[in-house]
Amino acid sequence: MPEAATRAPLAALGRAAASVVGLVGQIALLGRQMLSSLRRGQLDRTELVRQLYKMGWQSLPVVAATALFTGGIMVIQAAPIVQRYGAHGLLGWGAGFGTLREIGPLLTALMISGRVGANNTAELGTMAVTEQIDGLRALAIDPFGYLVLPRFLAIIASAFFATVVADALALVGAAYAGSWLLGVEPGLFYSGLTSGLLGFSDVAHGLIKSVVFGGLIALSSCHHGITTQGGAPGVGRSVNATVVTSAAAIFGADYLLSFVIQ
Amino acid sequence: MIAFRGISKAFGERRILDDVSFEAERGEILFVIGASGVGKSVLIKQVVGFIRPDRGRILVDGEDVTDFEERDFARIRKRCAMVFQHATLFDAMTCVENVALPLAKHRRLDQRQALSEARALLARVHVEAFAERYPGELGDGLRKRVAIARALSLEPEVILFDEPTTGLDPVNARRVDRLIAELSEKARVTSLVVSHDLTSIFTIAHRIVMLYKGKVRLIGSPEDFRQSTDAVVRQFVRGEAQGPFET
Repeated sequence: MPEAATRAPLAALGRAAASVVGLVGQIALLGRQMLSSLRRGQLDRTELVRQLYKMGWQSLPVVAATALFTGGIMVIQAAPIVQRYGAHGLLGWGAGFGTLREIGPLLTALMISGRVGANNTAELGTMAVTEQIDGLRALAIDPFGYLVLPRFLAIIASAFFATVVADALALVGAAYAGSWLLGVEPGLFYSGLTSGLLGFSDVAHGLIKSVVFGGLIALSSCHHGITTQGGAPGVGRSVNATVVTSAAAIFGADYLLSFVIQ
Repeated sequence: MIAFRGISKAFGERRILDDVSFEAERGEILFVIGASGVGKSVLIKQVVGFIRPDRGRILVDGEDVTDFEERDFARIRKRCAMVFQHATLFDAMTCVENVALPLAKHRRLDQRQALSEARALLARVHVEAFAERYPGELGDGLRKRVAIARALSLEPEVILFDEPTTGLDPVNARRVDRLIAELSEKARVTSLVVSHDLTSIFTIAHRIVMLYKGKVRLIGSPEDFRQSTDAVVRQFVRGEAQGPFET
């Protein structure tokens, strides 16, 4: 009996591990299929432009608002330490270091995942359960080139450009909060940013992360979308799976990339 | 034009089709009938590679497409259009944009030309008044006709209809029937129609194939079916509740 009690959780753990490995394998296959469609020149450029507008341009207001507040929040959190040690000159460096390397790409990826990834899965999922994807195939139109590939590229581009915007606006928010809360002049904040403690590698670190995060959101949302089954409840399950998978993948990748890219 | 040779298909333990063979000629309207779940839709979806047979061969104009790769089917799908049971129009596009999409993709027309030709196709199926409406704003009958217009944009030699009149009121059902008949008469389009709409079957079919328990029970003209002495066939075509017909 105790043996059975030990075996059940182990079996459940094994099933969960197998399911995760299966999911990773399916997503990798999707990635390969998309690269193959891209190589064969099957990308629909009109659809790519439409998706860039919808996913990238229309995400900017929410990304901008989040970034401005995030920059301010970082200063609010740092304010007691900055005041205690009189480290006002390092405020620009601290905000820049945290924003460019970590907070900018991470928060933007989570915003893109919630706004764009979930929506992408819902759209593709609805098309899958209502046979619209088969409808495309019946018209001899490759669903990868027309539907999936433009969305995949648009999500990656959106994550990258939204991170650039978020980085800039978060620093503006931090500078204003520093001036308002700690009396740090924008000029002093700016010199902290550019005094040499921060370099191009810090910007590149965050931007490389943004591309990887965008790729993970794109793969996860497209995979869960096109494999949706089971009508409206199935679409709900797929959207949920996308949000969970994307978040887990983003944090896992962030952890690894923070070690790998210095 | 389209030939099924010894087609068998099973899903898990359940055998759906068992050694099914028949042919449809150019310009012919061939109905595939049988009880729900007998494998009618499974059969026609095999022509365009949506489902693969376990055994047997499928020939399109003499060319064996059974072992085609997904990418090879693009050529076949341009020649053999499919109209699904639920129309499968793209929700995010207007009706005219739905029809223009394959025109722009395959005939390399610019958007203005594609929309202009799409309007002409919508007029051909008498739904031009609804060109700028979204599919969600239309009833089933109109959506099916838009789907037929979209299929026609490929200028196909064959159209596979999956229950084209199911769920339609009698007037709209007869309009769809008339369209199918016109395509056969005027453009020599071969129509493979999955249906159990008896009125359609006996109004426009040139020949009928009846599937029963996975096998072909009878192939013949509507007259052959009316005069059949097979009790199963008689019960089905008369729509009687009592008899030997098992579902």
